[in-house]
Amino acid sequence: MSVDAVTQWSPLPYRRTWQAVKFVAPLLFLVVLWQAVVTIFDVNPRIFPDVGTVARAGWETIRDGSLWTHVGASLWRVSVGTVLAIVIAVPLGIAMGVSKGVSDFLTPLFRFFSVLAGIAWIPIATLWFGYGFGAITFVIFNAVFFVVAYNTLLGVSTIPMPLRHAAASLGTTRWRMLTEVLLPGSLPNIVTGIRTGMGFAWRGLIAAEMIATNTGLGYMLFLARDFYRTEIIVFAMIVIGLIWLILDRLLLAPIERATVERWGMVQRS
Amino acid sequence: MSALHVIWGYYVRFNARWPALAAFIPFVPLVLAWTVVVRLELFPPVFLPGPGDVARKAWELLYKGILTDYLADSLGRLAVGAAVGMAIAIPLGVFVGLNRKAYEFSWPILLFFQAIGDIAWLPILLVWFGFGLTTMTFVIVYTVLFPVVLNTVLGIRSAKPDLHRAAQSLGASRSRILFEVTLPGALPNIITGLRNGLGYGWRALIAAEIIVGTSGIGFLMFDARRAGSVEEIVVGMILLGVLWYIVDSWVLAPIERATGQRWGLVTK
Amino acid sequence: MKSLALESLSKTYFDPYRGTQFTAIKDVSLNVEEGDFVAVVGPSGCGKSTILNMIAGFVPATGGRILVGGREVSGPGRDRGVVFQSFALFPWKTVIENVAFGPKMRGIGKAERNRIAQEYLELAGLGHAADRYPNELSGGMQQRVGVVRALANEPDVLLMDEPFASVDAQTRMTLQEELTRIWEERRPTVVFITHDVPEAVFLANRVVVLTRGNVLAEVDIPLARPRVWDSLVEDDEFKSLSNQVLQLVRSA
Repeated sequence: MSVDAVTQWSPLPYRRTWQAVKFVAPLLFLVVLWQAVVTIFDVNPRIFPDVGTVARAGWETIRDGSLWTHVGASLWRVSVGTVLAIVIAVPLGIAMGVSKGVSDFLTPLFRFFSVLAGIAWIPIATLWFGYGFGAITFVIFNAVFFVVAYNTLLGVSTIPMPLRHAAASLGTTRWRMLTEVLLPGSLPNIVTGIRTGMGFAWRGLIAAEMIATNTGLGYMLFLARDFYRTEIIVFAMIVIGLIWLILDRLLLAPIERATVERWGMVQRS
Repeated sequence: MSALHVIWGYYVRFNARWPALAAFIPFVPLVLAWTVVVRLELFPPVFLPGPGDVARKAWELLYKGILTDYLADSLGRLAVGAAVGMAIAIPLGVFVGLNRKAYEFSWPILLFFQAIGDIAWLPILLVWFGFGLTTMTFVIVYTVLFPVVLNTVLGIRSAKPDLHRAAQSLGASRSRILFEVTLPGALPNIITGLRNGLGYGWRALIAAEIIVGTSGIGFLMFDARRAGSVEEIVVGMILLGVLWYIVDSWVLAPIERATGQRWGLVTK
Repeated sequence: MKSLALESLSKTYFDPYRGTQFTAIKDVSLNVEEGDFVAVVGPSGCGKSTILNMIAGFVPATGGRILVGGREVSGPGRDRGVVFQSFALFPWKTVIENVAFGPKMRGIGKAERNRIAQEYLELAGLGHAADRYPNELSGGMQQRVGVVRALANEPDVLLMDEPFASVDAQTRMTLQEELTRIWEERRPTVVFITHDVPEAVFLANRVVVLTRGNVLAEVDIPLARPRVWDSLVEDDEFKSLSNQVLQLVRSA
């Protein structure tokens, strides 16, 4: 069971709405609390701004279009890096997982690189690609690539042998074995790998954008720091949180649930 | 055929006796391939140094004492951050997991703060605390906190009601049930959370050291980047990888195996 | 349907920990006529599953030959359908997709293979469950799908590896009765591995007792068909045959 199995959506529409309300209500309460604390204790806006100031700063970035530029740049880098990584990592992982000898041999290598994935590559990536799109996309690519490849490898090796035997005795060719058994069988691990990898990639992105570029959400944050614009920092943090929440909860988690849980292949983690 | 059997036998026995050591064997061809690529001069040495250069650099840094100092700094920060993070996270997770109202209220908030991500806090922390240890510790505590809280809550909530009932009918009090049944039951999840938390935590540490740092492995790497010393960057990367590999596979994974898998709580 | 013959089949493993050879199966010969039902019984560790895995082609034999319809075989193939103890249903496929898997591998079009699968599902009374996922079915129903999936691929020989060992006692008896009914209707060639002696006697025409990789005895089961538990439970002939086989297994 994964962390989100607890927040299950019911198929009934009104229950869905109710769930959404129950999810949003505590967050709204938090906003109220924030405003109350700032007003009552008269917090210096340089340290922490009130809700209105942040909202105005946010509106400002929306109106002058700078928010869209930064969000667009960040999402574009994440999409390119992630898609590229998945397209290469999954077939590679499956190919390596086909033979037990090969997969045993390669597992430590991929574990090594998957624990190294992401942020640790920022220095050498900026050296190789210079500051900008190339370096950042590379960091995202390798955060996703190694984690997904390793998980795919793991997924193929955890497919129960009787399933492969069953397919073989039903007359499955090698190629068909790949598409009918190995790929769907390792899908739960692949999805988990993508979620973990993207978690690393998203953090790597923010870090890399602080260091190595002049657009993107990380840059937006860091630039605001230079001018002590805490209201923009807080706004950008909220945007980062919301985007990741939407990506993870509304895109990745439902995919995991739709396939893996229905098939009864959930592994406790 | 029988000669093959003998070699195969050696390999299997070696694997069985020293699985941790056997895991290093696959790196031998990797290093060889690396050497060949460097020798062929496909890339300029400023971009990709050879294993020899990297080893010399590592020795030099070690000899000067920089490597050990920085390593101690990084590990110290990580250890303090992880300890504080867990000290807050586990009681919080137990409380939230046991209390339905607290759970319904705090779950969205926990998810949201986890989603903001450690590194996004750096700028405002710099405003608050400046470039210093407080900023870095905060980031690591923050990073370790959420995976542990979320997983502890999950572990507590997915406890089997039968075990609870069994303890009750055997005459255990509420607090005894908490310590004897609920917490051990949640332990595998807590450890998984810790493993994830540390995985994110040391990445956050590297980022913090790059951006904030005055010492540490992350700082070493970025300083080398500024000076254009690619060997030092590679030394830092290898060190990080080996270090985390050791922590993860020799410390965390065995604990996970010893509890969850031994008790059969984790279905593999 | 075709006959199955094992000619002095053997299997030796290399034990890398001891550095020695280990003989699991030694010189086993067996003839199964076309349309016959043979059960193989024996204590655990006697090598009965190894034999089945060799016939199925999952593990290579180290000596001897396996003939299906007089033709030597090696490796898994659709001429030998297998029913697994663990069911081995593809969890990512619905029931009907599982049953239609074999025909799909033969390149049969979607409409036609779904028709075949539906027909076989009806045979096992599973028509209503076609669009469910295996995970959503009970153990007994899952194994019905397992049997039907093997049959729908029209194998020459049906191999069953303790197929009912992991379902409850009630369901097991129902499944055994359904299997005899299907066998009596279609007469497939069956090799059935089990450690449950009454099950073997109930189902088979002939029971082979295996010990330490050797055939100890073969017992013919001339019980009348159709067989149902209600009449056989108190049947003296059934009891004495069961006893006879049980004595052989225990003497091993």
